[in-house]
Amino acid sequence: MGAIVQFKNVTYNYPLSDIPAIKDINLSFEKGKFYGVIGENGSGKTTFCNLIRGFAPSFYKGDLKGEVLINGKATVDYDEGDLALNIGYVFQNPFNQISGVKDTVFEEVAFGLENFGVPVDEIERRVVDIMKLTKIEHLAEKNPFSMSGGQQQRSALASIIVLEPDILVIDEPTSQLDPEGTESVFEIIAAMKAAKKTIILVEHKVDLIAEFADEVIVLKEGQVIRSGKTQDVLSDLSLLEHGVQLPQMAIIGDELIKRGVPLDYIPVTTSQAMEQLEKLLNKEAK
Amino acid sequence: MWREKLKVVKENKIAGLYPFTKLWIVLFYSICAMILGTITVDGYPIYMILSFVIVPILAILTGIMKKVGGVLKNMAFLSFFIIVVQGILVKSKDIIITLNIFNFFNVNLYKQSLQYGLVLAFSIMCMGGILAWFFGSTDNKELISALESKGMGPKASYVFLSTLQMIEVLQKSSKTIMSAQQARGVETEGNVFVRSKAFIPSMVPLILSSITNTEERVLTLESKGFLVKGKKTKLYDVSPNGKEKIAMVSIIIYTVIIVLWRVLLWVL
Repeated sequence: MGAIVQFKNVTYNYPLSDIPAIKDINLSFEKGKFYGVIGENGSGKTTFCNLIRGFAPSFYKGDLKGEVLINGKATVDYDEGDLALNIGYVFQNPFNQISGVKDTVFEEVAFGLENFGVPVDEIERRVVDIMKLTKIEHLAEKNPFSMSGGQQQRSALASIIVLEPDILVIDEPTSQLDPEGTESVFEIIAAMKAAKKTIILVEHKVDLIAEFADEVIVLKEGQVIRSGKTQDVLSDLSLLEHGVQLPQMAIIGDELIKRGVPLDYIPVTTSQAMEQLEKLLNKEAK
Repeated sequence: MWREKLKVVKENKIAGLYPFTKLWIVLFYSICAMILGTITVDGYPIYMILSFVIVPILAILTGIMKKVGGVLKNMAFLSFFIIVVQGILVKSKDIIITLNIFNFFNVNLYKQSLQYGLVLAFSIMCMGGILAWFFGSTDNKELISALESKGMGPKASYVFLSTLQMIEVLQKSSKTIMSAQQARGVETEGNVFVRSKAFIPSMVPLILSSITNTEERVLTLESKGFLVKGKKTKLYDVSPNGKEKIAMVSIIIYTVIIVLWRVLLWVL
């Protein structure tokens, strides 16, 4: 599969800042894969997302060196609207993703399609389908401002997914949600993964990244310090020294190995840990 | 069909009038009220005061008296305050009555000041009242749909609609901020001096959070193609209900009568 997003020698400074927020990044993202982006606070994750979506430098201005390419074309060369159709962006704060001009969730989800001049019948069909997929049908007639954070975030996801972008950039969508809200949002993200969308997800909840991501990118001070397959990256305990959180299972697995438990590899997910434990227990039983 | 479900259906024929027709009613009524304020009986704007009666009657006929009743009450309170202040504190030629307060000082009610106060107060009542009727009987999306069909751009309609929605949202945010500040030890309840001390710690976070939220909201709009040039689809369209002609004829006749009356008084 070809690269759908590419960073070529990208360095970016915000206006009036001498310190680059992103330094010398060279990365390629394959179509249809799920990428997790992790790193401590201030490592440049949101700036990274803004560069993919084209908000930097078009909205934030600043100084961009190198190129960010979407389907082979630089983000700075895209027309208004084309990037919105190619890349869906979901922010951290569910409240800020409500347009503020629609009285119901149905209209909120339809808002993007209205802006693109999609015919009314098609709008209705697509919105109904997306509401089913994101399980917000029962919220269709509710005022977006009267919903819980989890409901608002699901509605925000729905209103982006309905535009059928090939790429989804999702910046800490669950940081302001309770566990139930988090689970409901990740159900939708899992459905998008199953639909073979290219997903770039910034998250602090590394256990969930471990469950879903094909590959992980670790940022620190604007630079990529590690990238690769999820299993390889999230089992690298040296990342703890860089302020990066690792999955609970990886830390437990590492401790068990240090204490002489013969695990085949450091697990990063609960299912991997269970598989290893079952194997050990079966060995013991024999 | 969802579109049919979400359509604003109004059984009341007055409430269901096309928004521009209602705007014309607001305009003509306000002009007539101002003209009637110049037609006095012994200096008192009796006809202007009588014309205000149209507002609550219209609200009752439109079926929105409960909605606008509170607004009218608040305006009445404000107007009463204006009348009293104007009539008592602004000296003029004639005194209607002198009240002796606890044998301590006299309070005079001045005739010309009272008359002027009544004109001021009922200007507010008439124009404010008819605007309350308009906004009480017209959904925001009806108004925006009508304005857009006349060529108002999407940016302007967005600013208008979001301002109306945000008032309620900001009220909720301010309550949350006040509770948070209370939890931090800021006193928000009590006398005027206590509350005024809480003003800055309450307002600053509200203003700052509104500014930071605005940035993300702008990007959200951009993510949803708001700035894309080209024709936008309208999921919802407002259409006349067929009673617009009667309404326009009625308000025009009313206006012509008032204007003719005023002109005749000048001439005669």
